[in-house]
Amino acid sequence: MDLTGGFGARSGGVGGGPYREPIGLESLHLGDEFRQLATTTSLTPDNAGGSFTALLELPPTQAVELLHFTDSLSSSQAAAAATTGIGGGDIIIAPPPPPLHSFGGTTLTFPSNSALMERAARFSVIATEQQQNNGNYHNNETPTSSVPSNSSDRVKTEPPETDSAMENQSLCPNQTNRSGKRKDFDKKVKSSTKKNKSSEETEKLPYVHVRARRGQATDSHSLAERARREKINARMKLLQELVPGCDKIQGTALVLDEIINHVQSLQRQVEMLSMRLAAVNPRVDFNLDTILASENASLMDGSFSGTAMQLAWPHQALETEQSFHQRQLQPPPPPPQQWPFDGLNQPVWGREEDQAHGNDHSNLMAVSENVMVGSANLHPNQVKMEL
Amino acid sequence: MASADKTINTDVPEKDVFAIHFLQSLSNLRTQNLFNSPDTTNYRVRKIKKAAYVSMARAAGGTSRLWSRALLRRATKGNNKIVRFPRKKRKVTWKISSKRRRSDQRAPVVEEAAERLRNLVPGGGGMETSKLMEETAHYIKCLSMQVKVMQCLVDGLSPK
Repeated sequence: MDLTGGFGARSGGVGGGPYREPIGLESLHLGDEFRQLATTTSLTPDNAGGSFTALLELPPTQAVELLHFTDSLSSSQAAAAATTGIGGGDIIIAPPPPPLHSFGGTTLTFPSNSALMERAARFSVIATEQQQNNGNYHNNETPTSSVPSNSSDRVKTEPPETDSAMENQSLCPNQTNRSGKRKDFDKKVKSSTKKNKSSEETEKLPYVHVRARRGQATDSHSLAERARREKINARMKLLQELVPGCDKIQGTALVLDEIINHVQSLQRQVEMLSMRLAAVNPRVDFNLDTILASENASLMDGSFSGTAMQLAWPHQALETEQSFHQRQLQPPPPPPQQWPFDGLNQPVWGREEDQAHGNDHSNLMAVSENVMVGSANLHPNQVKMEL
Repeated sequence: MASADKTINTDVPEKDVFAIHFLQSLSNLRTQNLFNSPDTTNYRVRKIKKAAYVSMARAAGGTSRLWSRALLRRATKGNNKIVRFPRKKRKVTWKISSKRRRSDQRAPVVEEAAERLRNLVPGGGGMETSKLMEETAHYIKCLSMQVKVMQCLVDGLSPK
């Protein structure tokens, strides 16, 4: 079999150790085979330490390499290169089992899986390059270890690609994620880090230009995320100022709880007050017109007591209510700005409603005087009618 | 109350605007002759409460605020000749679904609180968290104003 021939050539100095034919094998069997191989054959003496474990772990890779190399019939050099390439790092590929079945055939035609082929080719290329750069395996060890490990990241995470450019980019992971950035620039944000580099990545885009801070990721997603988080934090600060007693609380969760409690308590207060209002309500005439009228009418001194009387007795007010309605329809209502509500609102309103229950007129007088300050003039007609 | 942030506008009108609106709504209730016929206090209570909320929504900015808009919409479900809503192209459904999906990833502490807020604040269902917080701030201000007005009323009306 060619395979045995290949192995024989590969093993070099060893006189063809017992190699069982891996006919129709899954990778498991291959593992055994390779282990045997490893023990029996002395591969390139440099590889001895590193490659055995690598070999043990990576039988499929080995198989792939071997397949390729035996195909190309550049067995000895390629084989050695393959072992160096493999031994240097952990390349873990999960090749589909079917291709390995071609072991059984006499002609080792490589499987139709071109991607696998290309992947193998790529690794072998790297291996050969490394081999060619320096003759010594040990010198290659660190670079090769870095190379395959990075490419392995690529391989692990991504489906087989023929894009060697991608792989080259992945070779330098310690630089800021330029490849990632390049993709992301197509999307949204231009970010220039304040780190040691990346003035190169200034693509002009019609989007928000955000400057990433030192030590932070420059991924567009994280940038948007960060902007959003800042927005939320700003608003939370605003809410904190609004809700009494939230300034002293540390921690967002507690602050949020406090805010929610505050909203709930406010809503409950509204409900309580509306219940009280409902209880109080039937007795009181809520006619806004009368209130408005009284406000305006209080300008006229003579009519103070009159208006007071009118409002003080709800049953009377009821009667005149309709007439008030009619009268109020014609003249335009006075503009609200004229009412001095600044600091007087609470007492004003409170006393206003007191009148409805016939409280003493002195209150009303005081109120009216207060109200008079900014009120508009009213036609004397209306005042007299109120009387 | 001046808003601390320049970009976020959470100004609410003064008490008098709220007061006027509330009293107007109450007098409307009065002229509807409600208080004579219904026996249950509960009915009356609910009516007053609804009137309070609607008047608050109107006073606070009508349909220019999301929560007030939602409130008014909720209140005038059938007969909508009362409130005029601005015509906007509504892609709300898109926004809800796309933002909701991602919002679970974003600071789950904040997000669960935002969920609770959404249940409390009217119209909170379609809003993103940052917008929700704006609306909450405005809502809190308006609510406190309304509470003050109602408190005054009750104090004034209750027998001494």
